[in-house]
Amino acid sequence: MNVVNWVEQRTGFVSLTTDFLTEDVPGGASYWYAFGSATIFAMVLQIVTGIFLTFYYSPSTAAAWESTNYIYHNVPFGQFVISLHFWGATAMIALLLMHMIQVLLWGAYKAPRELSWVVGVLLLVITLVLGLTGYLLPWDMNAYFASQVAINIAASTPGGGIVQQILSDGNGIGTLTINRFFGLHVWLMPAALIALVGAHLAIFRHNGSAGPPIDKDLKKLPQGRFWPNQMFMDAAASFAVFAIMVLLAIFSPAPFDVKADPTKQFIAYPAWYFLALYGLLRIAGQTPAAVQPIANLLATVVIPGGVVGLLILLPFIDRNPSRELSRRPWVLGLTAFALVVAIGLSLYSGLAVQKEQAESSGGGAPAAAAQASNTLGTGSSAGTTANTTGGTQVAAASTHGASVFAANCSSCHGAAGAGQPGVFPNLAGNPDVVAANPAGIEHTLLYGLQGKVIGGKSYAAQMPAWKGNLSDDDIAAVITYIRSSWGNKASAVTAADLAKITK
Amino acid sequence: MAEHEAQAYKDPGTPEEQSRRTFLANATLAVGGVIGLVLTIPLVGSLIPESLISPDKVAAGKPVPLPKSGWDSVATKPGTPVKIDFSFQYADGYFPPAGDDQSVWGIKMTPEQTASFKEKRPDLYKNPAGEVKYDATEMGFVVFSPICPHLGCRFNWVAEQSKFACPCHGSQFTVIGEKVAGPAPRGLDPLPLRDATGTAQVTWIQYKSGTPDRIIVAYN
Repeated sequence: MNVVNWVEQRTGFVSLTTDFLTEDVPGGASYWYAFGSATIFAMVLQIVTGIFLTFYYSPSTAAAWESTNYIYHNVPFGQFVISLHFWGATAMIALLLMHMIQVLLWGAYKAPRELSWVVGVLLLVITLVLGLTGYLLPWDMNAYFASQVAINIAASTPGGGIVQQILSDGNGIGTLTINRFFGLHVWLMPAALIALVGAHLAIFRHNGSAGPPIDKDLKKLPQGRFWPNQMFMDAAASFAVFAIMVLLAIFSPAPFDVKADPTKQFIAYPAWYFLALYGLLRIAGQTPAAVQPIANLLATVVIPGGVVGLLILLPFIDRNPSRELSRRPWVLGLTAFALVVAIGLSLYSGLAVQKEQAESSGGGAPAAAAQASNTLGTGSSAGTTANTTGGTQVAAASTHGASVFAANCSSCHGAAGAGQPGVFPNLAGNPDVVAANPAGIEHTLLYGLQGKVIGGKSYAAQMPAWKGNLSDDDIAAVITYIRSSWGNKASAVTAADLAKITK
Repeated sequence: MAEHEAQAYKDPGTPEEQSRRTFLANATLAVGGVIGLVLTIPLVGSLIPESLISPDKVAAGKPVPLPKSGWDSVATKPGTPVKIDFSFQYADGYFPPAGDDQSVWGIKMTPEQTASFKEKRPDLYKNPAGEVKYDATEMGFVVFSPICPHLGCRFNWVAEQSKFACPCHGSQFTVIGEKVAGPAPRGLDPLPLRDATGTAQVTWIQYKSGTPDRIIVAYN
């Protein structure tokens, strides 16, 4: 213990820690008080997993999807870590909402804890901004189109055009947008979050535990100990949250789609915590044209802004000193009403988006790609096992081929296969690609090509050999994909066909 | 932090309560430890490169062709090193394979240089990296990596002195890569060369710098 004393004499850290842990819990420790600490646990988990993701993630249109794809398929435990971060966002927001509801029910926002509550509302806003900015970073189809919708909503508000310009650096969503969202998501918002959590905890400690919702002098209640009694319950609750997250990360990995392609049609699915807002917007969109501008303003600014404003002002509006549940019908009634409306709006817009996705999948590939994306995480062999919702094998292979193409071929041949005159051949209508006998194109993919004149034109760049870099399954899938995309209509190729091709 | 009153801690409680608190304290620490361990394994594991886990699984280098123009200029100047620029497909991290530009020093050895090569560069033959075959000398050609074996600078050919000289720390080498001055721990590193039906092909290898032995760090 000499070391401890030595450090204590020079830093005071030991007494600081002891002092922090030595705290009365009026009425005794309770699992009801664990929501706040579980939220902090989720936050720490987000910070830790986020830090490890930045060892691989790179924010730019050239690398955001590629580096995320690398995390998924190449980094040891990469899929687990990114899935933990994905589910961590859900856990943190869900726990934060539960913590807030509990504080509302308990009347713990009342004097002298008004500022603790105000800081808490700001923490909610920051956490939602973190969720929004993180959604864009993987730069897959859903990331791109969901963020497109979010930025356009922001732009439609009075003064929102400025927000849009700043977020996208004047132009559409592009590489600078990813940079800005990255800066917000990784630096500014976490820094603000940590500072405000520090303030939140300091205010909490200044006023002490709020205790149960009763109108009694808290000092006259039997007092429980924060350490170890309450801490154990906090740790147990955090462990339960952690266990659920680990299971979800393993058995339901974060979805990851093909690379963002603005030319494709795609119906994005918002994060669940924005579904209520999205529902408001859908309702506004269905109002008669005459009132629609007002309805839109209500849905995008007045109602969301009003809810946040009301939350911030709540401790100053609700001057009723009582904390007994039976004496606070208005606040509790309004809380219940707001919850029912939020859940109703979320269900409404969630079901509507699912229906639209299902309808559009009848006609085109994008939704099939979205379906397959959920299983892409299982690795490059997913081509044969992907489509779990009843598509044919060929559809699954071509979805897989699309992702192989996006990852390996599109940087030269372009997302639409158009190539670059004189450098990279156009694949659409390319006689070598659509030849009835696929042996030629198979050889090109396997062993590369240089200097060949295709359709009377020559090309400067060298086609690399992919044998050894990609599996035969991947190569077969991508050949099938390019032979059946952009108007090409040639037969599919299997890995078995490739085995017959020799150098 | 100021001293504050905590009522709950004034009464130590019954022995049962004390032992229960000890249990809760230990259980809390144990829960924290389990969470920490479950997190540490995948998080630290995600940073460990495959080359550390299974070094023998690192793909061996592939010979890549040197451009004919560069090779021709080597052949026409026996005994004089010529820098040959070339490019090969290389997948850097998560980027799709792309052209990576490198250069090597190629030398068409005079018959005398070829004859004394084995004697003057014994380090090439006693080395554990003997898997690198120097059939280059049988062809009368040698190709040196442009990386100084001292600390990885790019060295120059100084024609007036007929020496390779590294500008960073002053190491000097003869035309066949023998160290003659400076801190470099070994002579210049040759790269495997082969004649593939009239095309010269080289295998790009990075060797560990600063060690007397030639240790392979990475292939192309």
